[in-house]
This record gives sequence, C-alpha cells and structure tokens, in this order.
Amino acid sequence: MRKELLVLLTLLGLLAVSLAQLGFFDVVRLERGARNLLEFSRGMVPPDLGILPLAGKALMETLQMAFVGTALGFLLALPLGILGTRILFPRVVVVPTRLLVAGIRTIPSLLWAVLLVIVVGLGPLAGTLALAAYTVGYLGKLYAEFFDGVDPEIIEAVRGAGAKRLHLARFVLWPESANSVLSQLLFMLEYNIRVSSILGFVGAGGIGFYMYVYVNSLEYQRLATLLVVIFLLVLGMDLVSAWLRRRYLLGT
Amino acid sequence: MDRPTTVRCKDLWFSYPGRSAVLHGISLQVPEGAFWAIFGPSGAGKTTLMKCLAGLLKPQRGRIELLGHAVNGNGLPGWLRLKVGYIPQQLGLVRGLTALENVLLGSLGRNGGWGNLLGAFPKEEVERAREYLALLGIGQKAREKAYRLSGGERQRVAIARTLLQGPRIIFADEFVSDLDLPRAVQILTTLRELGQRQRLTFVMNLHEVEVTHQVADQALVLKDGNLVYQGPARELSTAELLTILQ
Repeated sequence: MRKELLVLLTLLGLLAVSLAQLGFFDVVRLERGARNLLEFSRGMVPPDLGILPLAGKALMETLQMAFVGTALGFLLALPLGILGTRILFPRVVVVPTRLLVAGIRTIPSLLWAVLLVIVVGLGPLAGTLALAAYTVGYLGKLYAEFFDGVDPEIIEAVRGAGAKRLHLARFVLWPESANSVLSQLLFMLEYNIRVSSILGFVGAGGIGFYMYVYVNSLEYQRLATLLVVIFLLVLGMDLVSAWLRRRYLLGT
Repeated sequence: MDRPTTVRCKDLWFSYPGRSAVLHGISLQVPEGAFWAIFGPSGAGKTTLMKCLAGLLKPQRGRIELLGHAVNGNGLPGWLRLKVGYIPQQLGLVRGLTALENVLLGSLGRNGGWGNLLGAFPKEEVERAREYLALLGIGQKAREKAYRLSGGERQRVAIARTLLQGPRIIFADEFVSDLDLPRAVQILTTLRELGQRQRLTFVMNLHEVEVTHQVADQALVLKDGNLVYQGPARELSTAELLTILQ
C-alpha cells in the first residue's frame, strides 16, 4: 500500500515538474494567450466565402494526393507484406523485407514531404509520393502481420496439393485476410486525407499551402473558410467510410 | 494375389520436444488399394502417426517408405507430395473461397501457371471438381462460400479437394466426424469404390467402429502410442474395442 502511494506521489511530482518546465504555471503568459485566442477567433468570423472556388480547387488537389498516394502505397505494400510473411518465406527474405519496411516507417510523413520537395521540387507530386511512402511503411508491416496470422493448417493443406508460394498468396493469404487488408486500406485513406491537408505547409501541395499563406498574412477570415471546408471533408469521409464498412466489410 | 506395398513404416518412434514418446515403435505395411481404419482414444497418437506417415512430422527413430520411396521427414519431394493426399482434422479449407474453388486448389500442382492466379482454371479441372462434389452429394453447394457450409459439408469439400489432387495414397484424420452415421457410411463406401477403381490406398483415423464395419478391410487400434490390435475390420466390435482399450 505504501509502495503504491509512493509510486503515485512520484508520478504526480514528475507531472508537476514537467508542467512547470513547459510553461503551464506562467500565469502572465497564459492570461495573454487567452486574450490572443479570443482575438484570433474573433478575427475568423465571418469566414471569407469569396475564396470558396479556390478552396474547392485546393481541396480537390488534396483529395487527389490522398487517393493516389494511398493507391500507390497499397500496390507496393501488398507485395512487401507477402515477402515479409514468415509462414511463406525463409528468413533471408523476411528479415530484409521487414527491415526495409521498418526503415520507411521510421520517417514521419511530414519529413518524407520535406525530403521529397527537395528531390522532385515544390508541388503536389512531392506530397503524393510522401503519402505513398508512409503508406508503404505502415501497411507493409500490418499486412505481413495479417498474413502471418493465417491458420498454418490451411497453408499446409493447400501446399500439400502442390501449390507454389504465389498460389498460396493468391488463394489462401488473400481470401483469408481480405477483410482486414481492405479495412486498413480504408483507414489509411482517411488518415492520408487528414495528413495531406498539412503537407502544403512544407510546399508539398494541397490545401495546406493556402493555410500556411493565410496564417502568415494574418488573413484569418480566409483561414476560417479553409478550416470549415476541411471539417466538411473529414466529416464526409467518415460517413462514406462508415457506409463502405457496413456495406462490404461487416458480416462476411 | 500380391499387391505392392504403398505405405511401409518400421519401428517408428516420435516424441514432441521435452515430452515423453507419443509413438512407441509402430510398424505397418499397407498394400495398394487398401482401406484401413485406425481407432484409439484421444491422445493415443493417431494424429501424430498420420502426420509422420504423410511426411509432415519427422520421427526420431524408424523408417518410412511411401510408394517405395524413403521419407526422411524433411517434407516430401515435389512429385511424391502430389501422390500423397492428407486431410487434416481441421480440414484446412479457405473460408472466403467457394466450395468449388476450394476443390480446385487440389489441381494447383498440375496447373502452376499464371492463368489460374486470376481464378481461371482449365475447363476439364472445373468439370472434374464438380463431378467429385456431386459424387460426395454436395454438387448443389458448389457456389457456396466455405464459411457458410455445415461441418459435414466442409468435410466433403476437403475430401473432394484431395481427390482432385490425384493422389495414390490418402491419409485422412477424423474426416467424417461431423457426418451422421448413415451419411458417413455412404461417403466411405463411395470412397472405397473409387479407391478400388483407381487403386488408391486409404489410411484414416476414425472414432466410430460402426462406421467401418461394412467398408474398411483392416482395423488398427492405437493405445498410448502402441499398436495393440490389427485385424479384419468386421471382426472389431465396439465391445471388443472397449475391452482392448481397458
């Protein structure tokens, strides 16, 4: 009992010290922050609807980036997931594949965007490739895990009938894990749509570029319009994906 | 008439890592075209024996020959693997594929090309797959997904898949346990007739003695990893099996 109390007090102490060091006890600053927030919010109303055509165009670009990035990433993640499956391939194939995927995953999508802007220049191409790269790292790992979770007895039975690895991937791994594979693909698309709206901050295309411009030029009414548009997009995406899940992924 | 031996094992010992032996020196000689049934309580080593014979487990001691070829337990060579069918207790069906598609997987050893990766199997294979399903009484379920089938229907799909593989020997582990008695007898009779026509050797684990009375030619009883009985199947009654196992 006394030991647990000690642990609890230590944790509370650590929390307090961290809060202080991060500036949470700086009353003057907090009070000034609150006033700024109020002013900032007041500056956002009413949203400037004049930029709606521009926002719509930027939104389309964002959607395209997310769609193409997810698709490219998926097309690469699927074979990498198969090559990373322990029940199908020997260690000499599985280990390097998994290391490669882990390496790709280590780099966050925003950093991929920075790197790819340097490589292919400003614009949505860099953003799309960044999303694809992150998708490969994320889905490549998950897919290998899904495939490894397939009942080995099914693999054994079909292998016994003379099936080669490619057949096993097509006729056992795929049908046995298609639900999880597609469900995660949908999740990745949702995630990429949210992320693609920020990639513009580093010049990688999409609606984020205009957000960055309006923040820096203090045009908060225009910024507000963009935020509303993004909010509607995320809401719409949630509705669409909920429908897709209900329609295709549940109960099978 | 002297039929060639298709399955031969001598002094087979097997134990799982860190545990006492499951098989204690089993020796068998199964002639071509035979229809053998192995009985025994759970844990007697029936499944282990089946897996050793099919080349899926490596025994610590003993010798196994399939179709005159020595099996070393490190998996079967490709040509022999196609000649040996194994129906596992859990059947190993792909749940998301239809009954017909599951059966067609049995033909993959013959059709290794790219065409069937797209799901297009040769017409004659599809026809044979349908014939086997019909022979086993589930022709009308061909388009049903495996996860929608009943236990007994699944067992028959697994049998059809193994038959389509075109093996010379079939090892089957409790593969009619979900069928009612008359249906099980009917399926076994069908398999027996097919086996005699095609000179197929069947070795199967079963748990109901009645099932095999009219169909199996030899009955074997395993107890604690020892072969304690071998004789004509029609002479082994439930009462006698119980006496043996006591």
